[in-house]
Amino acid sequence: MTRPAAVALAVCIAVLLVLPWIIGNEFYINMATQVLIYALFALSINMMLGYGGMVSLGHASYLGIAGYACILATIAGYDQLTAAIFAVTLSTAAAAFFGVLSLRAPGLGFIMITLALGQIVWGVAYRANDLTGGDNGIRHPARPMPFGFDIRDAASFYYFTLVVFAVALFFIWRFSRSPFGASLMGARDQPRRMRMLGHNVWLVRLITFVMAGFWGSVASVLYVYYNLFLSPHAISLQQSAEILLMAILGGASSLTGPIVGAAIITLIKNVVSTYVERWNTLLGVIFVVVIVFMPYGLVPGCKQLWMRLRSRKDKAAATVVTEPAR
Amino acid sequence: MSSPALEVAGLNKRFGGLPATRNVSLSVMPGERRLIIGPNGAGKTTLFNLVTGDLTADAGSVRLFGQELLGMPTQDRVHLGLARTYQILTLFPRERLVHNVVLSLLGLDVRRWNPWSILTRNRDLYERAHEALERVGLGDSAERIVVETSYGERRRLELAMALAQKPKVLLLDEPLAGLSQGERQTVRALLDTIPRDVTIVMIEHDMDTALGFAERITLLHYGEVIVEGTRAEVVADPRTREVYLGD
Repeated sequence: MTRPAAVALAVCIAVLLVLPWIIGNEFYINMATQVLIYALFALSINMMLGYGGMVSLGHASYLGIAGYACILATIAGYDQLTAAIFAVTLSTAAAAFFGVLSLRAPGLGFIMITLALGQIVWGVAYRANDLTGGDNGIRHPARPMPFGFDIRDAASFYYFTLVVFAVALFFIWRFSRSPFGASLMGARDQPRRMRMLGHNVWLVRLITFVMAGFWGSVASVLYVYYNLFLSPHAISLQQSAEILLMAILGGASSLTGPIVGAAIITLIKNVVSTYVERWNTLLGVIFVVVIVFMPYGLVPGCKQLWMRLRSRKDKAAATVVTEPAR
Repeated sequence: MSSPALEVAGLNKRFGGLPATRNVSLSVMPGERRLIIGPNGAGKTTLFNLVTGDLTADAGSVRLFGQELLGMPTQDRVHLGLARTYQILTLFPRERLVHNVVLSLLGLDVRRWNPWSILTRNRDLYERAHEALERVGLGDSAERIVVETSYGERRRLELAMALAQKPKVLLLDEPLAGLSQGERQTVRALLDTIPRDVTIVMIEHDMDTALGFAERITLLHYGEVIVEGTRAEVVADPRTREVYLGD
């Protein structure tokens, strides 16, 4: 890691750690928690999108499966940890099944199958009144007490989410730098060549699909703990699309992009919407502007802009130095 | 007599109504250098694609050291010792040269499944990749990005990626295509350094360079084997003159 990157990372960690003190206001602390949860959703979908070139429109189905499983297991009387593990395991297994189905078709077919699977989960949640409460949704009894810590208030829950997020981010960062990640990116760029080099492209993609499903499920459990409520609206196509947009807006080719995208969209949705009635339009405008001027998303776009400005400044400095010689 | 390294028998492939490969049979002995020639559209690259599994054959058999390849996924064939280069360069253009070769080495290494370790910390992979690049004269260019290199250098990178895997049977699809006269000599000399435990089947149009390389030549025309034999036999055969040398 270069020194500026290390400094930037240290500053980010410090800011995230003292954030509740800086903010103070409970509403905004909750907002920060939401950003972290959505960032984890966006990071997980980006394992497929950014590194694997697989566009999924069914990511909210994990919120459906893991979310309802977690709530129903807790209601059924299992302790919170068992319920969470059960929820994540079930949802990850579903991801494996979804992956096998979706990977039968490349490109557009893949997108449509993930979309259909997402709609099936949504439809089941909507129709299975006895189980999910249908349109009315269902309440999660209470937040857990991990290792005896009380995470009912906003700041403690923020820290709880931050810890889970940090662990996930570390794993996903390692993933993106690993030999497996290299195979995945190779399969994204030249699948045929990768096969000819001995890589099992299909299996690499399937494993990635499952890993993305796993982290998506972890984010889903956090989502349920945060809202203490789940309804079919939360797992609709719009949710899947929003998660996808977060990753694209921030920049799918980078690790930090999905986090930035999640922050922007979540803040616009929750904060700006209290001042601007047409916040959806605003979101659309921002999205169009970013994609037009920075087709690879905000983070890679800003990086490029920064490089260009710096090289211009260097050039300007160089001309200043040479001026007396003229 | 030992068994052939690569044995193709009764291989057929049609694209719709167009037969691309018609009842092709050939056997290449271990260590042999085989040249495959034929006019454009003769089905040379199709034959390679059938052997590697990029295309599915309609009928026939392809054996690598006696083992049937048809029905086997491409990557499994590679694990049995098959490697190829592409006529149309198929590289990872935004990556460093060394990364291209590392991907090639990973293909046969169980570490490719590791989602936890940091790739660049696997020093031995990078050392072997550097060796492979040095072998084709790209040792100094290892850290360059593929798009910054010349066409000739990319051709040699293709070769480095294939050789790094230490294949038993190597399929070269026009390794000299698009190269200048000087570069041709370089690549040709490079091919001569490949040890005899590697069996080589090569498609090539440049007869001047390629003829000297191969012991045996197979001439394809409209998907069929027209002539096969030693260099002298094939060159002397009237059918060769007819379909290929344009006489």
